[in-house]
Amino acid sequence: MSVTKRKKKMEKFDFVSNVIITLFAVLNLFPLYWLFTSSLKNSSDVVKMPPDWWPKSITFSNYVDIFQNQPALRWTFNSIYVSGATTILVIVIGSMAAYAFSKINFKFSNLIYIIFVSSLMIPKEIMIVPLFRIVQNFDMVNAYGGMIWPNVAGAFGVFLLKGFFDTTPNALREAARIDGASEWRTFTRIMLPIVKPGIGALFILNFVQVWNDYLWQLVVGQEKLMKTLMVGTATLMQDLNPNFAYKMAGATVAAIPMLIIFILFQRYFTSGITAGAVKE
Amino acid sequence: MNNKRLFTTMTALLLIVSLMAGCSGNNKAGNGAASSNAGKGGKEKVEITAWLTPQWKGVLNASEQGADYDSFLKYAAEKFAAQYDKYDASVKVEVIAGDQRDQLLNVNLSSNTPPDVFFESVFPMGDYVHRGAMVPLTDIVDDEAKKDIDQSFWDAVTFGDDIYFYPFQHNPGTLVYNADMFRAAGLEKFVGSENEIKTWTMDEYQQILDALKTNLPKDKYPNAYPMALYAVNNQGDTWNLAYLRTFGSPFFNNEGNIVLDDEKGAKAAAWLKKLYDGGYTNPGAESVSSNDANAMFQNQQLGISFTNPILFSNMKTNMENGTSPKFDVRLANIPSESGDPLSFTYVVGASVFQSGNAKKIEVAKDFVKFFSTDPELVKSSKNGIPVRSSVAEELKGENPLFAAYDANSKYLFNFTGNVPGYSQLREVLYPELQALYLGQKTPEQMVKDYQTNGNKVIEQNKAGSVIYNK
Repeated sequence: MSVTKRKKKMEKFDFVSNVIITLFAVLNLFPLYWLFTSSLKNSSDVVKMPPDWWPKSITFSNYVDIFQNQPALRWTFNSIYVSGATTILVIVIGSMAAYAFSKINFKFSNLIYIIFVSSLMIPKEIMIVPLFRIVQNFDMVNAYGGMIWPNVAGAFGVFLLKGFFDTTPNALREAARIDGASEWRTFTRIMLPIVKPGIGALFILNFVQVWNDYLWQLVVGQEKLMKTLMVGTATLMQDLNPNFAYKMAGATVAAIPMLIIFILFQRYFTSGITAGAVKE
Repeated sequence: MNNKRLFTTMTALLLIVSLMAGCSGNNKAGNGAASSNAGKGGKEKVEITAWLTPQWKGVLNASEQGADYDSFLKYAAEKFAAQYDKYDASVKVEVIAGDQRDQLLNVNLSSNTPPDVFFESVFPMGDYVHRGAMVPLTDIVDDEAKKDIDQSFWDAVTFGDDIYFYPFQHNPGTLVYNADMFRAAGLEKFVGSENEIKTWTMDEYQQILDALKTNLPKDKYPNAYPMALYAVNNQGDTWNLAYLRTFGSPFFNNEGNIVLDDEKGAKAAAWLKKLYDGGYTNPGAESVSSNDANAMFQNQQLGISFTNPILFSNMKTNMENGTSPKFDVRLANIPSESGDPLSFTYVVGASVFQSGNAKKIEVAKDFVKFFSTDPELVKSSKNGIPVRSSVAEELKGENPLFAAYDANSKYLFNFTGNVPGYSQLREVLYPELQALYLGQKTPEQMVKDYQTNGNKVIEQNKAGSVIYNK
C-alpha cells in the first residue's frame, strides 16, 4: 500500500474517530446543558413534553430564591471549605503515609498496608452510626471538624499515592541520602515533586468525593447554617410537590465549583491517573 | 525553590485547616444530653430540639416577609418560651427534607439523640411508635380538644390505647381534573362547581374516561390522556391504595393484616389493568412517578390526576403568577362502586421522641400542647385543612373548600391501618403494580402476592412492636 493511500485511509479513520468523539462529547455535555437551561425555566416547563430545548421565557427566580431567601452562600462556603480542607489534609497526611509504605522498610509494613487498604472495601454507610457516636463524643456535631476528620481517615489517598511513589526509582532516594539529605528533606524536596501528577489526580478525586458525600454531611451538619450546599438545597423540597427548576438551580450552583476545580487540575488529572498505573 | 514554597504552603495550609477544622462550628446544645442549668429568672434552663419537614412557608401564610418552612415553629417557640413558667425553655427548630427523615432519625436514635419534637405527616412516623421511640401524648389531650377535632383524626393518631401525635392539620387526597378539557370533550354535565368536590359514580367515571380518550380535540390537546397512573416508586401510593378499595375491599382486618386477596380486591386490580390496557391512562405507568404525573397534568397532558390541598393551592398560585399554563382546575372524589367517595387524608401533627431525659420530655409535651391548642397558632392550620372544627368554621370565608373537605370527612378511611412496618409495606405495593401493568401477573395473582408479602412484613414488625407486645 502506498504512503498516500495509507495517509488517506488514516485521514478517513481520523474523521470517523472525531465524529464518534464529538458524539460522545455531546452526549456527555448534554446533561450539563439541560441542567443549566432548566434552572432558567419555570418548574412545569422543565417536565414539559415535548420539551423546550431552550427556555421560552428565561427566569432567574430560582437563583434569586436560593441566594436571597436561603443561606446558599453560606452553604456554598461550607461545601468548598469542607471539601477543600479535607482534600488538603488527605494529600498532606496521605502522601506521608504512602511514602513510608513505599520507600521505608519497617516491621510489618506490608501487613499494615494490607489492613489499611482493606478498609476501602467497607462501605461508609455501615460505619455511619459508630462514626456519628465518635463525632458526638468529640462534640463535633454541627462543626466542620465532624465533617472533615472522618473523611481524612480514609485509605484511598494512601493507596493512590503509594502507586506513584512505587514508580519512582529507589536510586533517587538513595542518592539523596548519600548526599546527606534527611528522610524528611528527601521526601519533600525530591520525591514529592515527582509525584505531583498523582497529587493533582488525588485532589480532584477526593474533592469530588467529599463534595458529593451527601449522607455524612447530612448527619453531621444538622443546623441550617452548617449544611453543605447539596444537603441545604434538598431541605427545600416538598415530597409531593418538588420544584424541578429549583432543584436544577441548586444542582447548577453545586456543579460550578466542581467544573472550575476540574478545569484547573485536569492537566494533572489526565496525566496523573495513568502515570501511577505502570511500575517501571 | 519551588519545592520549598510547596512545602511551606502545604504546612501552612495544614496548620490553618487543622486549627479551623477542630475548633469551628458548635454543638454546645447537643441533642440528647441534658442541657439543664441555671437560666433566666433563676429557672432551670432546658433546651429542646424540634424538627419538621417542609409543610408551609410563613407563620400564617407564605406572603409574610422572610416566610420560610420553619417560620411557624420558630414563632411558636418564642411565644411558648415567653409564657412558660416551669423552666427557662428554649426550642431549636430545624427543617429536614422528607427524604432525609428516616436517615437522620435512625442515626440519631441509634446514638440516643433523637429530636425532642417532630412535626410531620403521621403516616411515615407510625413505625417509630411501634419501635417504642415515642412517648404517648394521651395525657396532654383534653376533652375540649377531643370535641373540637373529629374522631376520625384521633383514630389515625391512636396506636393501641394511646395517642402519639397531636393532630394539627390534614391534607385530604382527592382527584383533580381539567374542567376546560372536560368541556372540550363534551363533558360539561360532569363538571362540578368551583368550590365543590365532585362525586362521580363508577359508570359516570367510565363515561368521562371514554370521552376524554375519544373526543378531545387533538390540535388543542396533543399527547393527552384521560387519567394519571403511576407505579415507579412509593411516592403518591396512597391514591393507588385507594384505587384498590374501589370495589369495597376493607384492605385491613381488625388484627391489622391485609385482606385484599378476595373478589373485591381482584376486581379492583383488574379494573386498573383494564384502564391501563385500554389506553385510558398515561402510557408506561410502571415507570412513571407521581411527580411526573403531576407535571403532565400541569402541562395539560392528563385530564384527571391526583392532588391534595397544598398541591392544589400551589398549582393555582403557579397559574395565577404565570409560571405554569392556566386552565380551569377542580376537585373530585375517587369514585367507588358503592357510590360513596373514597376519602383519605394525611394527618399532620407533632410527636415527642423518647429522649430518656424526663425534663426534656416534659418541656417537649408542653410545647406540643401549647402550639396545638393556642387560639392564634392553630389558625396556621389553614395552610392545609384545619382538623379543628372551630378553626374551619372561623376561616371558611377564606377558603370555601373547607366546607367541602369537612363534608368528606365522614368517608375517611385510615389508609395505613396503623400497622407496624407501614414504611416497608409501601415497598411491597409498587413492584406488584408494576408486574400487573407489565402483564407479568394476573390481577388475582397480584393481590394474592401483595397480601402474602405484605402480611409477612406486618408479621415481622408485629414481633418487635411495643404496641402489639404490651
